[in-house]
Amino acid sequence: MSDPRVTGAVRYAQDVELPDMLEARIVRSPYPHAGIARVDASALPDGVVVLLPDDVRGLGVYGPQIQDATVLALDVARYAGDPVAAVAARTAREAEQAASLIEIDYEELPAVFDPVEAAGDDAPRVHEIAEVSENEAAYFDLRPQPGTNVCHRFRVRQGDPEAAFEECDVVVEETYRTAGAQHVHMEPHASAARWDGDRLEVWTGTQTPYNLRSDLARIFLMDPERIRIVCPPMGGAFGAKTFVRLEGIAAALARKAGRPVKCVLERAEEWQTLNRHPSVIRVRLGAKADGTLVAARFRCWADTGAYADCGPGVAQKMGFAAAGPYRIPHVWVDADCVYTNLPPNGAFRGYGQMQSTWARELALDLLADRLGIDPVELRLKNVLHDGDRYCTGEEMHDCHYEACLRAAARAVDWDDARRGKGVALLLKGMQTPSRAEIAVEAEDDGTYTVRCATAEMGQGAWRTISLLAAEELGVDVGQIRYAVPDTDIGPYDTRTTSSRSTYVMARALREAVRDLRANGRRGHGMIEIPGGLDPDTGQGVASHHWHQGAAAAEVRVDEETGKVEVVRLHAAIYAGRVVNRPGAELQNEGSMIMGLGTALYEEIDVADGQVTNANLSDYEIPAFADMPERLTHDLIEREGADIHGLGETALPPVPAAIGNALASLRLHVTELPLAPEAVLCAVDVREGVRA
Amino acid sequence: MRLTLDVNGTRREIEARTDEMLMDVLRRELGLLSVRETCGIGVCGACTVLVDGAPISGCLMLAAAAEGREVVTVEGLGGDDPVQRAFVEAHAFQCGYCTPGMILAAKGLLAEIQSPSEAEIRESLSGNLCRCGCYVKIADAVRRAAP
Repeated sequence: MSDPRVTGAVRYAQDVELPDMLEARIVRSPYPHAGIARVDASALPDGVVVLLPDDVRGLGVYGPQIQDATVLALDVARYAGDPVAAVAARTAREAEQAASLIEIDYEELPAVFDPVEAAGDDAPRVHEIAEVSENEAAYFDLRPQPGTNVCHRFRVRQGDPEAAFEECDVVVEETYRTAGAQHVHMEPHASAARWDGDRLEVWTGTQTPYNLRSDLARIFLMDPERIRIVCPPMGGAFGAKTFVRLEGIAAALARKAGRPVKCVLERAEEWQTLNRHPSVIRVRLGAKADGTLVAARFRCWADTGAYADCGPGVAQKMGFAAAGPYRIPHVWVDADCVYTNLPPNGAFRGYGQMQSTWARELALDLLADRLGIDPVELRLKNVLHDGDRYCTGEEMHDCHYEACLRAAARAVDWDDARRGKGVALLLKGMQTPSRAEIAVEAEDDGTYTVRCATAEMGQGAWRTISLLAAEELGVDVGQIRYAVPDTDIGPYDTRTTSSRSTYVMARALREAVRDLRANGRRGHGMIEIPGGLDPDTGQGVASHHWHQGAAAAEVRVDEETGKVEVVRLHAAIYAGRVVNRPGAELQNEGSMIMGLGTALYEEIDVADGQVTNANLSDYEIPAFADMPERLTHDLIEREGADIHGLGETALPPVPAAIGNALASLRLHVTELPLAPEAVLCAVDVREGVRA
Repeated sequence: MRLTLDVNGTRREIEARTDEMLMDVLRRELGLLSVRETCGIGVCGACTVLVDGAPISGCLMLAAAAEGREVVTVEGLGGDDPVQRAFVEAHAFQCGYCTPGMILAAKGLLAEIQSPSEAEIRESLSGNLCRCGCYVKIADAVRRAAP
């Protein structure tokens, strides 16, 4: 039997067809911040269904962490692209034509597009209040700052860095920036909704079926048990298909139409739907003359755009991971999640951690240079080992950072020559706290059905969990059937994010199979992972276990054009035990290639609040021709080790390794991506032509 | 307008508007859902089909321009085509969304160059984007499929 991926037989959410279904188009605000003065849909022909702000005024306000979103913008549009109306018709084309007949009058308001500016007291306010959500995705205490655009402030307070800097022999200080980026999942966002009396069914590409159900229940003021979410496999997601995206609009239209409605985004709309947080990070790092790290101070601004989404969580992870896998006795971090009038930013593979890794790892090489110590040696001197305490107060175990770093350095022949080469280390948390459940059912024909809410987005989770189930049951994997996630039938899971699924489901499965053996037909397993951090001190348990990795790069720079060519790229990540080897290799290679895009070209261009490169011609992602001459990787395993998630680990350290490779040529670029203009500027600075 | 196309070896009469693209007609009229849209402007290759044996972007070709020509999608390969087999053996996919277009582009390449070099594979398949980043294994699949 051939794989459905090579025969084209996979059916994604965009392919869902329901009897009598209509197709939807969304009308979006052309202004980044504007009052909505008048909406007139009287010119629309019969037979199309239109959804206007007044239709959704009575519905609930939602949001996974901060309740700041409504199904359509009601009185104020907060970014260029904010949905203001929607139309459903027999075809998307008819809906598009009808949508163009809606007249909307706007009154422009002052807008803000920079997170540092937006965090200031005088900035235009994007939302008047930031109310903490009751969704289970608000899993930590939130600290909105009243009277400002800061919707969450996360802090780490360990020791006294300001006093400790006085004791340091060398202190470096720098400000780093990372650009907004688009996930560019190949399959666009797609959702179909159908009402059956007072029951709502939704077929949608989502990584978060239970969080979605909870927010839809809030929107439609109904019991979550009356909502069914079905999750077909996705044509890529990378964090973009989390929480409520189109589902609220599709369901509200379907209720008004009395018919099922499907909404599939046009490609350009993806840049108006969810992107990666641009960031600004100020770092101050101090060490003794022998390279012993003493103190670190991080100030982070995560630009969450016009709606918070999971931005507070992004700021928290950016913050607690900022210190990296090093022993640093004095660490203070302030990480703000800030509203601006840009499209919303949310989860993106390895969220928050790419940004703070970029800043810290470049600052470390700056420090190494000032100290006259080899960058690998400096890291090895300070790297975390078993029994060390992290800045959150937690004792670290199962530490393999040194092994990752040594493997990465070896792969680029670090000891032979160092010019044009760079390394970076990553410490990355897994969603903590969380809960996972799984059910295993014995069928009459000797096969087994596995039910859980883990979504398939190309990461191979369904195959991996099937392999684990086969292993636990002692049967061939061909006897396992993985049921498409469906909240009516399958049990609860926190969500398919943060590289947690293989680890948590393996544990839950063990219990489910034990239960099955005891009860005969059906077994249920559950794992609950406790933990969490105090948002004011950053103390507690940041992560139940840690994702660990290193990257090394060798670059060639054309100093006439500023073009950076990555000749060699290697990632060494700790896997513990690999369950699905081809899948793990693909995830590792894919993470590195995505990291390459982040490093070299990916950037959302914005002018006056408008995204100006919302297409795949102007927004470039890595193609075959962009591959490094050598792209290699290690999955480090240990006999008897625990499974470690690995779907994201190799992305965050890649841009920093490439940035440090440039720094080894005395080309200091502090901003991602490493655009030719910035590289040429760094050449001028090195040559003394420019300050 | 009525169009006659030869799709996957069968003569098909279909209804299409004059301004409709081949991709949309193949999906709607014939249910060939392996032909998928990503960029809509001919740069990503997800909608690649073979027209008279050559890979083209289905989002850029007017359906009317395919009148009387041979159109092949992966549904027409049957599942046991050497390139499909090579993709399975090399594990050359993750989400599978770009895979049909990638397979057809690889068939186009192998029809032109029997044993392509690494550089020729990279060059020739650069019009097919894979956001999961399976390029290393896709190149392996193409080498395996070469006779």
